[in-house]
Amino acid sequence: MGSFAELTHFAERYLPYLAGGFAVTLAIAALSVPLALGWSLPILLCRLARRRWLAGAAAAYIEVMRNTPLLIQMYLIYFGLPLFHVFLSGFMCGVLAITLQHGAFLAEVLRAGVESVSARQWDAARAIGMRSRTAFRLVVLPQALVKMLPPLGNQLIVLVKDTSLVSAIGVMEVTLSGKMIIERTGGSYEVFVAVALFYLTMTTALGAGLRVAERRLAVRFG
Amino acid sequence: MFHVLIISLPYLLKGAAITVWLSLATISLGTLLGFALGTVGAVGPRPVRAAVAVYVFVLRGVPILVVMFLGYYVFPALGYKVDAYVAVGAAMVVYVGAFVSEIVRGAILAVPSSQIAAARSLGMRRWPMLREVVLPQAFRLATPPLLNTALTTVKQTSYVSVVGAWELSYAAREVVERTLAAFEIFLGVMVLYFIICYPLSLAARHLERRYAFAS
Repeated sequence: MGSFAELTHFAERYLPYLAGGFAVTLAIAALSVPLALGWSLPILLCRLARRRWLAGAAAAYIEVMRNTPLLIQMYLIYFGLPLFHVFLSGFMCGVLAITLQHGAFLAEVLRAGVESVSARQWDAARAIGMRSRTAFRLVVLPQALVKMLPPLGNQLIVLVKDTSLVSAIGVMEVTLSGKMIIERTGGSYEVFVAVALFYLTMTTALGAGLRVAERRLAVRFG
Repeated sequence: MFHVLIISLPYLLKGAAITVWLSLATISLGTLLGFALGTVGAVGPRPVRAAVAVYVFVLRGVPILVVMFLGYYVFPALGYKVDAYVAVGAAMVVYVGAFVSEIVRGAILAVPSSQIAAARSLGMRRWPMLREVVLPQAFRLATPPLLNTALTTVKQTSYVSVVGAWELSYAAREVVERTLAAFEIFLGVMVLYFIICYPLSLAARHLERRYAFAS
């Protein structure tokens, strides 16, 4: 891919195909991020629950998600659910698998954030007469948020990269589009350079956005 | 109920053996590469540090599956005929190297500057100081995140099946295509991965806790 002419030729030839894939990848990410964040909250609450069996169940769920590949979880959902007469599209199976896996990881990030706030902060808040709910809202949560935002951002970037796995169950997102272009048109590895640049742009933008949020939060609570 | 899984178990175990080999090879080579890059990334000359930073930035921003596809297609385009395992293995090593490099660099920079001042005041030169004072302490800091990276890498070896290299996940798909017993086979394969991954995960957590106390 040397000259400018070659580059424009490349863009004209492949970009229309890749653009559709870009849109699907963005849609998967835009759907999975809020769903995984939402799913992490009940896991976190169970994990911190005083009832032993509830905390144990949440811990077991997290261990399974942590120690098995997302790809196999995705296959299990995509190929396994029809056996129980549940028929979801590949797209939905991908979003579901990513939500289940990353919900567990995000719950662990949130837990580390809450537990990083020292017990003395709790005691101090209680000592000046705050109810435990107020203490959590005004004292613990703001401090936890400041601490958990950087690892939370990293986890969301991993999530966005993991959307590429949905290609394995036949969803025409950008990675699978790249592969199809190479196989059908005899294109070369440059197609994947373009795909890589797309992901790099997406993760960098997300990272930059999160850093702005970190700074704002630190100014407000830090 | 699980008779298809039991019958297919020898075939799946063969795949698991390849998964373990691929993990060992990519983790060890990737860690070596990452140690070299991380060390020069922390204490090397400025242009080298900048080059390492760019390398890490690019690879950390791209999914490993895309890097595997790049590896798979780039070798033939450059005129080399290589085995699929070599192509995706090389891609994994490059990828793991970036993550390890960032851990090692961070760990070296996290060694307190008073340690360096103390070593200097004893009259130690740069290289002995690095070898005797900085790197041993950095290694201790780096061990838990390195084990977590190893755990992630084991799980990521499953993605090579998408590119077309045979291992546990590929074997699982083959068995499912022939027997249609999707649920029990993929559940069984999840258990196999769990058996491989859980010790790593326990070791990482154990060391995290121990070092948290020590510091």
